[in-house]
Amino acid sequence: MTTSTTENTSPVVLQVDGLKTYFETRWGTVKAVDGVSFNLRRGETLGIVGESGSGKSVTMLSLMRLIPEPPGRIVDGQILLEGQDLVQMTDKEMSGIRGSQIALIIQDPMTSLNPVFSIGNQVGEAIKIHQDIPKRTVVQQVLDVLRKVNIPAAETRVRDYPHQMSGGMRQRVVGAIGISCEPIVLIADEPTTSLDVTIQAQYLKLLKELQEASNIGLIFITHDFGIVAKMCDRVAVMYAGRIVEMGDVRDIFNNPSHPYTEALLASVPKLEEDVDRLYSIEGQPPTLHDLPTGCPFAPRCQYVMDKCQTTYPTQFDVSDSHYAACWRLE
Amino acid sequence: MTTLEANPVTQTTNEVLLEANGLKKHFPVTKGLLVSKVTGWIKAVDGVSFQVRAGETLGIVGESGCGKSTTAKMLLMLEEPTEGTIEYQGQEIHNANAEQRRAYRSSVQAVFQDPWSSLNPRMRVRDLIAEPMVINLNLSRREMQDRVGKLLNDVGLSSYHANLYPHEFSGGQRQRLAIARALSVEPRVIVLDEPVSALDVSIRAQIMNLLMDLQNEYNVSYLLIAHHLATVRYMCDWVAVMYLGQIVEYGRTKELFDNASHPYTKALMNAALPSHPDIEQEEMILTGEVPSPLNPPEGCRFHPRCPFVMDQCSRDIPQVTELEPGHIVSCHLY
Repeated sequence: MTTSTTENTSPVVLQVDGLKTYFETRWGTVKAVDGVSFNLRRGETLGIVGESGSGKSVTMLSLMRLIPEPPGRIVDGQILLEGQDLVQMTDKEMSGIRGSQIALIIQDPMTSLNPVFSIGNQVGEAIKIHQDIPKRTVVQQVLDVLRKVNIPAAETRVRDYPHQMSGGMRQRVVGAIGISCEPIVLIADEPTTSLDVTIQAQYLKLLKELQEASNIGLIFITHDFGIVAKMCDRVAVMYAGRIVEMGDVRDIFNNPSHPYTEALLASVPKLEEDVDRLYSIEGQPPTLHDLPTGCPFAPRCQYVMDKCQTTYPTQFDVSDSHYAACWRLE
Repeated sequence: MTTLEANPVTQTTNEVLLEANGLKKHFPVTKGLLVSKVTGWIKAVDGVSFQVRAGETLGIVGESGCGKSTTAKMLLMLEEPTEGTIEYQGQEIHNANAEQRRAYRSSVQAVFQDPWSSLNPRMRVRDLIAEPMVINLNLSRREMQDRVGKLLNDVGLSSYHANLYPHEFSGGQRQRLAIARALSVEPRVIVLDEPVSALDVSIRAQIMNLLMDLQNEYNVSYLLIAHHLATVRYMCDWVAVMYLGQIVEYGRTKELFDNASHPYTKALMNAALPSHPDIEQEEMILTGEVPSPLNPPEGCRFHPRCPFVMDQCSRDIPQVTELEPGHIVSCHLY
């Protein structure tokens, strides 16, 4: 195991404690996020990895306070953004913070941009809402932020509509909206899944540069361990609404301690070497309204023990900065 | 590119099942509502040649717009090629008679990317899987039912699933159904168009392993369309890298990954995500985007984005060079 060389000692900007977001459905209560805790420092990149249904996107929506209510509700926990608890805020207070201090880059630029407004209009909207400045300055700021995300000929493209741009350019515009008010926390929800590989590489590089320039705390929501390896300092692996393993990126890759993390890493084909046969995880991800008692991964786990069937494992420390929720570590 | 003639006698003994020669597909761009006038041509596929060998997998990689899906459609006879030929066991298929075309259609099957839209939601699994057999084979009800049961077992489901509807299955299971359906008429070639990219990460390995097991069992060849290089490395025997309608590099998987020669292949590999945080990647990020196939660049089509661009690249179309037997590249550097 290598020790982490880049110990980040910047102040914590975001602290999430025991977050629980439940949805009431006709099949019963769906515990989409069930006790998630983590923190994020300035300038740090945290990866939240999981499959569909793992709760990673609901975690992201909870941080933005965008859970549709009803049926959803944050039932417990704290989300402290520089000390202020977002869970306790009124909708009006939250509107002042959403987009300005904590911002979001969504997955699909085709649906997250409005087709009937120009690019400049949409980037400017966020600036106008959060800053009380004259129109001329808004235009100037829009151009600045479009240049920051490397949109060539920003002066002319500002009048373009989303359909006139390529997928990569549209994703940059979504990024520009995200950073337009200089947030301290930026959440990127699978920002590159709809992009081609060479365009993805450009975009990831751009995100890293933007983060370094403004010392943003970045949360990457993804299912792709490749993105984690390239971008993240720390990783949280989610399964069935909970974090099952968390640690520095090298600890996770070198010493995966939860069987799910281990299996996921072994099931991904590698570009650098020939693999005769991939490890394949049997079964399906669980459905959240009908979770087994005990560890939700037990039915698919190759190391399953009697205890796993009955009791949800507590967190065990692997090292100072690395824990996993698995009875094998007891 | 049209004179591409790979000749890997030394390494392969498997017969060539399916061969494309100088395949082109140009789509007209029209103007005018009532009297339409052709104002240009989109050269989606512009002279590609490759071979699919018995029991082997050929991967076609490239970014969106490179023509890989159009190539697949031509092989499935869903598009007529503008120029060039497709030969199946030595027989040209687009000019063949109706009976031969019918036989070809049943020997070449497809599995598509999205199992949510490729299975009819109103049909029971039994009928979904039997449908190709009803059309192509002359079987009794009883035989058909047994075949469906066996196919379901072969793809890792059980025979009681035959009574269910597609919506009762998860993504991975639906993809298994699509595979069973493709296998039902015992094809020799299956075109796999991004078969795992719509699935959850933990399910992808299951489906890839299943496909490889079935390949041995049914002795079927695959043509795999993919954009994810690691998947291609894992599943394929041969790889063709496409850019703007042309194959820029073609070779055995191992040879191509170890000695990637075309600058575009190298760039694709550098842009692919690492499998470990300690893997240092060469900084070779391509600038710009894929140009429009309506008006492709002169000379080498990759030259506006190529980091090794030379004077002649913008003038002359590069010739095909054979680096090793079976490993060909079309670039002025060689």
